[in-house]
Amino acid sequence: MSSSHAHDESAEPQKGPKVLAVSPKNPNVRTIQVVRPENADTTFLAATATGLGITIRHFGKNLLLPRKSVEALGQGGAAAHVRFKNDIETIQYPEEKVQYPERYRGLHRLMLRDDGAVRCVACMCCPTVCPAHCITIVPEESSDPSIEKRPAVFEIDELRCVVCGLCVEACPCDAIRMDTAEHAKPVEERWEAVENKASLMGRGIRSTATQGGEGPTWRDKK
Amino acid sequence: MSESTPAAPSNMVTLTIDGQTVAVPKGTNVLEAARTLGTDISAFCYHPGLSIAACCRQCLVSIEKNPKLQPSCQSAVAEGMVVHTKDPQSTLARKQMLEFTLVNHPIDCPICDKAGECTLQKLYFDHDNANSRVDTPKVHKDKAVDLGPTVVLDQERCILCTRCIRVCDEVAGVHQLEMSQRGDHETLGTAPGAKLDNPYSLNVVDVCPVGALTAKDFRFTMRAWELEATPSICQGCATGCNLEIHHKNERAWRLIPRHNDDVNQYWMCDDGRFTYRDLREERLAVATVGGLPSGWDRALARAGERLAAVLKQSSSLGVVLSATHSNEDNFALAMLAKAWGAGRIFLGARAAVPERADDKLRDADVNPNTAGVNAIAKALGLTLGSGADLEEAVNAGAVHAVVVLGDALNVSEQALARLAEIEVIAIASHERGVVKQAKVALPVAAWAELAGTVTNRKGLVQRMHAAFPPPGQAIPGWEAVVRLAGATGVKFSWTHAREVFKDMTGKVSELSGHTWVREARPLQLRFAGSRG
Ligand code: SF4
Ligand code: SF4
Ligand code: SF4
Ligand code: SF4
Ligand code: FES
Repeated sequence: MSSSHAHDESAEPQKGPKVLAVSPKNPNVRTIQVVRPENADTTFLAATATGLGITIRHFGKNLLLPRKSVEALGQGGAAAHVRFKNDIETIQYPEEKVQYPERYRGLHRLMLRDDGAVRCVACMCCPTVCPAHCITIVPEESSDPSIEKRPAVFEIDELRCVVCGLCVEACPCDAIRMDTAEHAKPVEERWEAVENKASLMGRGIRSTATQGGEGPTWRDKK
Repeated sequence: MSESTPAAPSNMVTLTIDGQTVAVPKGTNVLEAARTLGTDISAFCYHPGLSIAACCRQCLVSIEKNPKLQPSCQSAVAEGMVVHTKDPQSTLARKQMLEFTLVNHPIDCPICDKAGECTLQKLYFDHDNANSRVDTPKVHKDKAVDLGPTVVLDQERCILCTRCIRVCDEVAGVHQLEMSQRGDHETLGTAPGAKLDNPYSLNVVDVCPVGALTAKDFRFTMRAWELEATPSICQGCATGCNLEIHHKNERAWRLIPRHNDDVNQYWMCDDGRFTYRDLREERLAVATVGGLPSGWDRALARAGERLAAVLKQSSSLGVVLSATHSNEDNFALAMLAKAWGAGRIFLGARAAVPERADDKLRDADVNPNTAGVNAIAKALGLTLGSGADLEEAVNAGAVHAVVVLGDALNVSEQALARLAEIEVIAIASHERGVVKQAKVALPVAAWAELAGTVTNRKGLVQRMHAAFPPPGQAIPGWEAVVRLAGATGVKFSWTHAREVFKDMTGKVSELSGHTWVREARPLQLRFAGSRG
């Protein structure tokens, strides 16, 4: 899909940036001409005026429109924790919540094996790839010889995490995921934002991925 | 290695590899000849320090006029030989050999200690990088087999290259590992009635191209790519094996031998490998006065005050040089002893361990720098007394104060007790032995934390590099000597170990002609070349 899109664009150069060259190996890799703003645009006068306009409009709405409360909704029989949205612009968090996009990641979790043990094998791929250096793992030898290695300590500093998801990409074992759609909790002390192995596993579920990769589960066919 | 040895033209053989002509000494194999051209032919079982088994067939190349592909590790070069390493036939053959090797390989990479420095991983990425075509169950063998006190074997990961067997046979000189069974059931194990317990056992872990053999000491602590390597010299004995300190977070995690044909070839002994542990044990990290932390200023003031009293009659001052410290540290202290006019000079050393000596690498003298200190003392006209002489002098009350470098004294318990009664000023990296009783102790860097040189039993001057900074207030030993000299009114102008070394080369004939090697930058391990 995306590659045909790329072909369309190179066929119609007036749409999108001007394409200077297309890689012979991969049509998605192209050299484009970047259009820098003119000097007149870089004063941002027009943009400032537009932004100020938006602020004033929001202010007006907040001032004039009525504000519903969760309690009011709750009286109508609905559960108090329902997500709702006022007409005014300011979101009344935590009573009021915005609907997150479907692909919102949220807090990490550590997936579990069938017996509830941690799936992670402390391969150190995620701390290696993490651009924020916020994952700390101390490996240990597992008493189960078919597992061999597991994390004794697994900590993620959610304050430092930049939510890039690279740890999930790097994991060869489907052991770490970022699909809880849970917000990082508000905390009073920095250390409280450090998720440990227990809290990460607490959100975890059994993974349906085959340990050791796809294909026949040769380890089980012994 | 052979390629760098300039030989008489008659001993040279000229051959063509991939269209390039190269002259190598007679007897070189094609694989080494190709390496001189920068062509690295894939190989598992070949190791430059071992005999050639040619059992993995990973190094097949086409040699013209030969009907079949030849293992390049086993083919000696011949005049006018024409070798192709990049032709479709041999490239395909090597790729297929790799696929065979991988048929029953467990692909444990996430939990395999070798990942990141594994030859199989590297060749897989170089050659093939394709999905497995095998859909039948793999052959299973035992995992985590205990081979002896130091090494664990994963039989599934073993690719049957026999390098480890050859290391035991040829380097350690004992037959402790053996193959059993045949075909895809071929399995490595210990020889009947034997355990892998020779003093060179951990070399098998280095030569193993995969993660089949792992060191109990290092297993599951660090991944290879997390470590950085700094070249240094083993301090375990007078042999001075060349090694790499693999370190991270200001801490050494393992020591790995570094190739040096003049000293240790590709090997080192197990005792030497474990010396890294001592870098974190009983360290003296703060200057002390009377055993209590005090900081440099107070310690130096106190030392200066006490020494001033003793120096009025400097024949009663003893100075102990150290066979466990670098040439620079010893030279600085020896110069200071001369400036003071110290009455007695001794050599502090660890007691010899005769049962340790063999005709390979291990030496009975467990001090790294005995030869260096002796050379310095000789050049400066100092007579070095032994531990026994020090004991006698202390018992006779001939010395009223001793300035000790290092913590190794090789004296009896009674003499240590007597030393506690006199003024001892220690310049040491570890708080043990005489340092514990010192009136003033000045903290200095241990071997992995300093730039310096040591002289081995053959008189070879070898350079150590600093892998990480010393703990706490510790500074290099020669610098501590400069500070102590300042406290007694002696001025030394050295500001870098390089300057001490330069002065030393001018004065010590054994060192003349040597130049200071530039500081080595720590190198991140990534399929590192250190594994032979
Ligand atoms: S999401 Fe990115 S920053 Fe956060 S822990 Fe994972 S790799 Fe690190
Ligand atoms: S990448 Fe996955 S298996 Fe590896 S340490 Fe991270 S969570 Fe564990
Ligand atoms: S030996 Fe190499 S390829 Fe095999 S599991 Fe270990 S790292 Fe992976
Ligand atoms: S254990 Fe390692 S070195 Fe020994 S035969 Fe197997 S792969 Fe080769
Ligand atoms: S390296 Fe040549 S056959 Fe193994």
